[in-house]
Amino acid sequence: MAKIGLEVHVQLNTATKLFCGCRNEPNPKPNVNVCPTCLGLPGSKPRINEKAIELGYRIAFITNSKISHKMFFSRKSYFYPDMSKNFQITQYEIPLAIGGYFDVEVKGKRKRVRLIRVHLEEDPARLVHVGGGITTAKYVLADYNRSGVPLCEIVTEPDFKTAEEVVAFMKKLLSYLQHIQVFDVKKGKWRADVNVSVPGGNRSEIKNVGSIKDMEKSIRFEIMRQTHLVKFGKKVDMETRTFDSETGKTYTLRSKEEEIDYGYIFEPDLTSFEMSKDYFKKLDDSLPELPEEIEKRFRKDYGLNHEQASILTYADPALAGFFEKCAKTYNDHKKLANWLIVEVLGFLNSVNKEFYETSMPLRKKQFIKFLELMDSGKMTGRIGKELIGKFIASEDNPEKLLEKEGFSVIKDELKVRRIVKETVSEFPKAVSDYKSGKEKAVHFIVGAVLKKTRLQVDPETVKKMVVEEID
Amino acid sequence: MVKQHLQKMGKGLVKPETFFKKVRKEIVQKNKRLNIFISIPKKFDVKTKGKLGGLPVSVKDCVCTKGLQSTAGSKILEGYVPPFDATVVKRIKKEGGVIIGKTAQDEFGFGTFSTNCAYGTPKNPIDPSRSAGGSSGGSAVAVASLSFPHISIAESTGGSISCPASFCGVYGITPTYGLVSRYGLIDYSNSLDKIGVMGKNAWDCALGLSVIAGKDGLDQTCVGETKNYTTFKRVKDKVVGVPKEYFSSAVSESVQKNVWDAIKFFESEGATIKKVSLPNTHLALPAYYIIAMTESSTNLAKLCGMRYGLSLPIEGSFNEYFSKVRTKGFGEEAKRRILLGTYMRMKGYRNKYYLKAMKIRTLVINDFKKAFKTCDVLAAPTMPFIAPKFSEIRKLTPTQVYAADVLTVAPNLAGIPMMNVPCGTHKGMPIGLHLMADHFQEEKILGFAGVKAWRR
Repeated sequence: MAKIGLEVHVQLNTATKLFCGCRNEPNPKPNVNVCPTCLGLPGSKPRINEKAIELGYRIAFITNSKISHKMFFSRKSYFYPDMSKNFQITQYEIPLAIGGYFDVEVKGKRKRVRLIRVHLEEDPARLVHVGGGITTAKYVLADYNRSGVPLCEIVTEPDFKTAEEVVAFMKKLLSYLQHIQVFDVKKGKWRADVNVSVPGGNRSEIKNVGSIKDMEKSIRFEIMRQTHLVKFGKKVDMETRTFDSETGKTYTLRSKEEEIDYGYIFEPDLTSFEMSKDYFKKLDDSLPELPEEIEKRFRKDYGLNHEQASILTYADPALAGFFEKCAKTYNDHKKLANWLIVEVLGFLNSVNKEFYETSMPLRKKQFIKFLELMDSGKMTGRIGKELIGKFIASEDNPEKLLEKEGFSVIKDELKVRRIVKETVSEFPKAVSDYKSGKEKAVHFIVGAVLKKTRLQVDPETVKKMVVEEID
Repeated sequence: MVKQHLQKMGKGLVKPETFFKKVRKEIVQKNKRLNIFISIPKKFDVKTKGKLGGLPVSVKDCVCTKGLQSTAGSKILEGYVPPFDATVVKRIKKEGGVIIGKTAQDEFGFGTFSTNCAYGTPKNPIDPSRSAGGSSGGSAVAVASLSFPHISIAESTGGSISCPASFCGVYGITPTYGLVSRYGLIDYSNSLDKIGVMGKNAWDCALGLSVIAGKDGLDQTCVGETKNYTTFKRVKDKVVGVPKEYFSSAVSESVQKNVWDAIKFFESEGATIKKVSLPNTHLALPAYYIIAMTESSTNLAKLCGMRYGLSLPIEGSFNEYFSKVRTKGFGEEAKRRILLGTYMRMKGYRNKYYLKAMKIRTLVINDFKKAFKTCDVLAAPTMPFIAPKFSEIRKLTPTQVYAADVLTVAPNLAGIPMMNVPCGTHKGMPIGLHLMADHFQEEKILGFAGVKAWRR
């Protein structure tokens, strides 16, 4: 069994950077959100962003961690071109919180992941490797927009045994971080260092993995690589590796024997200070509703089952909010949940997109209209299913879309009956099958009618008519 | 002199153009002989309004001045022109002070005699074969030698204001750590660095302090109040503590005698003299150097030729490039302190040196706190001897040089305010009395330093 541990770095959702007043916001133009402090100019000094501390504490709360009331920062020294000062201000002696845990569900089983620490630190600048990768680029450009962005580092014990467990953990963690509004998936990034070892070998660390997919692939590869080495009696080196998503393999970056001694000292430019009991009480009161609570409430208030409620709360926090807003004015909550889960998420999954990435969160009224078109019989369910993708992708209101796509329901009953009559006569085999007791044969004819009418009829009505015609 | 000058300026009795033309002429001329300035602005930004309206102010090179080269006395920052003013500079400009130049200093403040200067050593104006003291040597020489009214913004980490003030015979106040914003100060050792003022008398220093002191949102460690320091309190019935550890055999007889005379003078003015002990004094020197070097080794890391200052043709890996730039840009003393400072924070040594020194610092602070329970100020010699000759300094080992700071490091380590007050001469060279007070009690020191009869 492999042992896997994570160091997850999450960019916190603050308006400004951790130690200066520059905007914490991605910008396509390099080096615009900068000032003497985040550029590390001589004479500049850091000053703490209190919002970042608050967000850090929120993470400590949801991970059941022991909170340090004292805020204290240290200097971690090493030379690297992305570091504006060649030291990073981080927390070493006294982290924000220690000793927490986070429970996840893997294949229906509850698993407890223990956390070593949660602490705050500054993000270094972003390096752009021009004309190649980290080892092959001709030269490197530095973008200090990222320099000083607040990061929260969450370090786990090596409690994971499989990539699956890691994926479940990351999915739930990221969902929680969004629910408690410390992480904004639209503008923030996260990355993790993944430590993997197998029995009989040393531990290797995969640096800077930036997506759950890469995490899964890199862990699977690493377990395979290490198991293979051990099996053939070879040594697994203690080393730092990098994952290439193109090849799906990990590569050596440096040996751990070259491990840097960071020579930590206390950060003398920042005073240490203590948070009051009152501060934590306020913080606790201001904590948004947690997904577990939302899930329970969804079952109680909207009559959803566990699976439905879970998907709506955990998949994408924007989705839970969307559901709840729609549910206020649309009364068939089960239908609403089903359409969101089966059709909307189904479609998004097929095109590899997340709910928040679409314009959907802003189109509550239009989505309700979409459902109502079906309720009033103006659009059949089949057409609805056919159109949902186009509805999500376009900005059109559903009525306009229906018209544009030529999917208006054929209201003229005589016209429908004529088409049914015609179709029945075209499939004598199916008719005789039906007559000899094979009831399913009728579906074949119904299908043909739907095809002819481009789904503009209600399948149930057509079925009734077909049976009537044959009889 | 500053007081009268400001009054005249305010009344329009001095023509600013004529006055500053003379100023420029004198500084250019004296700079050639004494190496006072590293940079002199091409044009003076003359203003006459404000508390310092029309007063020439020189600024130690490590304090950033917008648009004017600031190197902290190092070649590695040659050509570096800050895009912002240090908070103290901003406040001086706002009150009408006119920046006349950046004063010479030991590289990053690493020195006691201003002999570690990348741009030439400032010379003692009383005897140019002798040291002006360091590291704020240029500031002390400016105050001592320039004939016009003027104050200088200096900086102390372990005694860099008191020492040169003592050697050049001028007044120099080092405020409480945290009274004056360090924003814009090129760091030596952040937990020790303090920006202060040098002047020809106590009032000049007090005026400068009134302008620069007080809270600043850009420096989290700055908590001081803004107040007027120029109204001096009486010394009558005050208690002057005399710490016995500061009168050891390491302090020359002539210095001891002159300092005692000064203390007795205070007694004649109605103060009470009380002998006290600061038992952890002997631990202060090693603790100071460990903390200062450790912090400075991290501060200097940013200077690597990538974003500003010295740069070289890019070759090899970033590590090779950084090493090449740093090898060329740093002087010998800077390299020594980077090496020692890095060593003392490495695994296995961190506990033995860095963390232990931080604990000793608390002991030293407690010594002072105890003494200030019964004393208003402490009086001691500033330096153990008069300004040495350069020929004598050359014979000293680095540890002998460090030992010269023995009387100034403890109050610096404790972050308490201190002031050098000229109190006599030996062989024609000035001797300094060191006055110290509890945190944020600058007014008590100034009361003693400003005694009227004292300013003879």
